[in-house]
Amino acid sequence: MSTRNTISKLVTLGGLCTAVALVATGCGAGGPAPSSGGSGGSSSINVLVEAGGHAELTGVAEQCKKDAGIDVNFVELPYDGMFNRLSSEFSSGNVSFDVAALDSVWLPSFKDAVQPMDELFTDDVKKDIFPALVKEANVDGHFIGMPAWTNAEIILYRKDLFEDAKNKADFQAKYGYELAAPKTWKQYQDVSEFFTKDGMYGTDVKGAVETEWLAHVLQAGSPMVLDKDNNVVIDNAAHKEALDFYVSLAKDAPSGAAQVDWAAAQNLFNQGKTAMTRFWAHAYRQIPADAPVAGKVGAAAMIGGSAGVAGVPGPWYLSVPKATKNTDAAKKFVKCAYDYNDKGIESKLGLASRISAFQKYQDQPGYESFKPLIETLNGQATATRPATAKWQQIVDTVLIPLLQKAVAGGDTSALLADAKKQIQDLLK
Amino acid sequence: MSTTSVTTTASLPSSDFPEAQPLRQRRGANREGLEAGRRSTRTILWILLAVAMVLYGFPFLYLLFTSFKTPIDTIAVPPTILPREWTLENYTNALGRSGVLASFINSIQTAVISTLLSLVLAVPAAYGITRYKTPSGQVFIMAALVTRMVPPVAIGIPLASMMASVGLSDTPIALSIAHTTISLPLSIWLMCSFFESVPRDLEEAATVDGCSRLGALWRVVIPVVSGGIAVTAIFAFLASWNEFLFALLMTAIRSQTTPVVIANFQTQFGLDWGSMTALAAVYSIPVILLTLLLQRKIVAGMTLGAVKG
Repeated sequence: MSTRNTISKLVTLGGLCTAVALVATGCGAGGPAPSSGGSGGSSSINVLVEAGGHAELTGVAEQCKKDAGIDVNFVELPYDGMFNRLSSEFSSGNVSFDVAALDSVWLPSFKDAVQPMDELFTDDVKKDIFPALVKEANVDGHFIGMPAWTNAEIILYRKDLFEDAKNKADFQAKYGYELAAPKTWKQYQDVSEFFTKDGMYGTDVKGAVETEWLAHVLQAGSPMVLDKDNNVVIDNAAHKEALDFYVSLAKDAPSGAAQVDWAAAQNLFNQGKTAMTRFWAHAYRQIPADAPVAGKVGAAAMIGGSAGVAGVPGPWYLSVPKATKNTDAAKKFVKCAYDYNDKGIESKLGLASRISAFQKYQDQPGYESFKPLIETLNGQATATRPATAKWQQIVDTVLIPLLQKAVAGGDTSALLADAKKQIQDLLK
Repeated sequence: MSTTSVTTTASLPSSDFPEAQPLRQRRGANREGLEAGRRSTRTILWILLAVAMVLYGFPFLYLLFTSFKTPIDTIAVPPTILPREWTLENYTNALGRSGVLASFINSIQTAVISTLLSLVLAVPAAYGITRYKTPSGQVFIMAALVTRMVPPVAIGIPLASMMASVGLSDTPIALSIAHTTISLPLSIWLMCSFFESVPRDLEEAATVDGCSRLGALWRVVIPVVSGGIAVTAIFAFLASWNEFLFALLMTAIRSQTTPVVIANFQTQFGLDWGSMTALAAVYSIPVILLTLLLQRKIVAGMTLGAVKG
């Protein structure tokens, strides 16, 4: 009976607590009620953002409050669930946010659910944004997203090893040229081979992500996977050349390349297991202070192939859903995000989208990755991913399995030919 | 025959019956053998128990140890089990993050409401099904399982739209209702098995003593199955406490629960293992306390009906 009494008391207490909590918090403990208002809109807006990008916009939100009197509430979601959430709300026509930070690959999927913002893209604005991003933001003739921040893969390397006198002499003797951050495929292969010794590897090979191989495709002079008319070109010579180069590095990389993704590669580099990595530029500023490589890392632009330096930009765009009732305030926030774009640089992620914002910081200590990032993003062959709503499906079901088979020793020609058929089927 | 002999000799002084001595020695040896056998069986069982505990407990222990590691230690290659340097920094980071406290309150609200809803609906439903045994009751109990057979994402998105259309978007009530759709079928099935184990005679006796049907349910049957209700409540609470997908689809600013906040430590730009494991460790405390508090009832509930027959 005593236990029964305990249970009864617990249930009663739980019920009372719930009732009190519900009344006290207005049916929720997270903050203010969702924004609402007429077409004129309220001065409070909700911004949906991937958790990693939240800090990027915090400074902007503070400035926007000062300048335009707009209160910004952030809705943070994990990356993996954000696409589902966006799909769900856009399809229902009932959105809980007024601005959404969209990954560039989602723009084609949501182009009909967001408002054009052509008026924000003046000539001055277009000049201060990397060309590839201006192109990507324009879908079907309208600008539908303002770049909030962008990223690209650059080369991170162990400065201490590259500057070591013995290494320099040995490298010179073996390869006939000076040891330095690689600029070409051949140099990258040589340096990788040179540092693969004594339990260390020259580089990593990432079989579980596709962007790096696609950057090499651009460097080899071909559009990625689809040409401008959406023809599948994955079996052309440039794709084969890039894939062969990619696979050739596996001998100088830790085993299990098929399973290596961004997190694994970043860990390996930060632990001092690899001498170089091709990685997103933000990682330069995120090396833990207690890492063995802290203070020993240099940054260089992405390597170049026959078409020159190229990278695949990884921008996020701020878009305003058609279903919002706060269009005016939402667009004011987007303008604030452009005007105060450099605020993001001082956040943990430390990125921006305006060229002038990067340039403002590029000579400051701690921002050595910015010059290589600007160079990569301005690269002649740099291009954004194909604008197709099926892109993520192509990546998940074709490109990553293709890479995993290739790094495991598969026949690259046969794999590319097979991939072409699969992508053609997907696009039908 | 030997039984008689043993009984007889055992009741007499051994000096009077010297021939009984070897028999007693044999008995002693048998008892020692039995004791030794029991001891070794017990040792084996303890070893098996220890192995099982390590297997079950290791992931949680690893999570706990990781929460005390420095950033570089959390991503060590090869990984280490114990922290090389102990730190509380991850707890400071995780608990200092905006929205964490609010998410805890939301999780508690949602789980309590969902558990109460599940019990309020499952107890009478299960009682009706087990006591009246109508064909429609049997169809109902099978139909209740259907919601468990559909992938949650298939009902999550329509459910989120429905909640938005009735103005319940981003509220703990909406999430609680959604969570009840997960826990209710299991609760009904569990309660059915518990009610089955209660003899009908108990209710009939209560009825003879003047109880109504509902009175007998409330005064006689429910106290008997209170252990089962505790088990059901725990399962319903856990189902809501740990649920992620519906929370992801249906909550935003006002009702986001902690599992979504924990997932937010994994971003496109990196994974903050330390903070993630610290928050996960803190989030597991209420469930551990609740389980310990109701431990006896849970064990009683789990064995309820075990000797039926």
